[in-house]
Amino acid sequence: MPCYIDDHQSLEATLRYNIHSNITAIFILIAGVGWIWLSKAFPDDLSVDGKIAPRAGFLAPDFSLLDRDSNQITLSELRGRPVIINLWASWCIPCREEMPALEQVHQAYKDQGLIVLAVNATNQDNQQAAIRFSNNLGLTFPILFDTQGSVSQAYRLQSLPTTYFVDQNGIIQEVVVGGPMAEALLRVRVEALLEDAHP
Amino acid sequence: MMPVLQIGPIALPMPALIVILGIWLGLALAERFAARNRLTGDYIFNLALTGLVAGLVAARLGYVLRYPYAFSENYLDVFSRNLGLFDTQTGFVVGLIVSAIYAQRKQISLKATLDALTPAFAVFSIALSLSHIASGDAYGSPATLPWSIQLWGAQRHPSQIYETLAGIAILGYLWPSHKHLATLKPGEYFLKFVIMNSAARLFLEAFRGDSAVTLGGYRAAQIISWLILAVCLYAIKRLRTTQGPP
Repeated sequence: MPCYIDDHQSLEATLRYNIHSNITAIFILIAGVGWIWLSKAFPDDLSVDGKIAPRAGFLAPDFSLLDRDSNQITLSELRGRPVIINLWASWCIPCREEMPALEQVHQAYKDQGLIVLAVNATNQDNQQAAIRFSNNLGLTFPILFDTQGSVSQAYRLQSLPTTYFVDQNGIIQEVVVGGPMAEALLRVRVEALLEDAHP
Repeated sequence: MMPVLQIGPIALPMPALIVILGIWLGLALAERFAARNRLTGDYIFNLALTGLVAGLVAARLGYVLRYPYAFSENYLDVFSRNLGLFDTQTGFVVGLIVSAIYAQRKQISLKATLDALTPAFAVFSIALSLSHIASGDAYGSPATLPWSIQLWGAQRHPSQIYETLAGIAILGYLWPSHKHLATLKPGEYFLKFVIMNSAARLFLEAFRGDSAVTLGGYRAAQIISWLILAVCLYAIKRLRTTQGPP
């Protein structure tokens, strides 16, 4: 009878479709397993050991700059201690707003080894204005002067302020572009750096 | 790479801007085609807004509860604009739960809601890839190919461009006005998106230079993508065989 033949054909088509879709799904999953195995990560694929770049996971570009008292400070000589590098200018309002928080954190954690370096982008600022600003606020951490703009260039500075959290091995753990940073944010990042330094 | 757009004294973080633009465009697209799932644009907008607000509040509260010592010196930091003071995982989970509760209160099925939101997810996925181009995140593994790019001290796969192209291809295939999508069963449209997205991630993760790896060098994101793929292939098969006509 025709209706039985139709039902039979429909059932057969459904079965064929199911078998076909099952085979496709199984093929996709087996191919996926093969691809995962083939694309296993080799050390060279993922290693950034010794690579220098101004981003998280890479070695922080080294620099030597003079501070307010003409002492030369070199980043690589601070290895073994966590460092906050804050690039700023005295005309930049968010930079000015976040300085008190940086001072608070410096005071709270300097005895545990934290170093705060405020690198003034002097090539686009006025050194005297920067010194006046830091004196008015009573900042006690080193203010360095990037007179040639070499640090701004090495760190590919795009916006002020920009802050780099560098661990005791000289590796950048986080970059915060813009500001002002809240004291809470600084405290959490510093605690993490110190935890890595003294687990 | 363009992490910051400087307009006079204002520095705009490009990756965040692109993501916000992606959410907005995605929701606009989802609202436009909401009627296909017998939903209204207003419902989609209110659902997204409710989830977003709840997610943001939960993300900040989650962060405060996780690091209470950080706020002990300055309580007002709880209201800080810093994006770094959010617990994104908590925010994501709470946002999803609140959105689901909202949908349930409006007595709208989860499948219809997910289908309606799929165009938004697809656009957001492209926006996320574009934000990676702007920030230099999700960078590729070292490679010396004619199309390699110089990034972070090495010639690398342009992995951010690969993922953007994959996102565009997925959105193109799943563009909501396509006729072949009209015959899908409730939930199938969303599952198709997740399957395609997981497959793309599984394939493209191989070219990433920042993968988290498990024991033996296997990339964690590939294993997770494979599991999602397997679950969704099973779910779509069940959907097709156990449900009635669309």
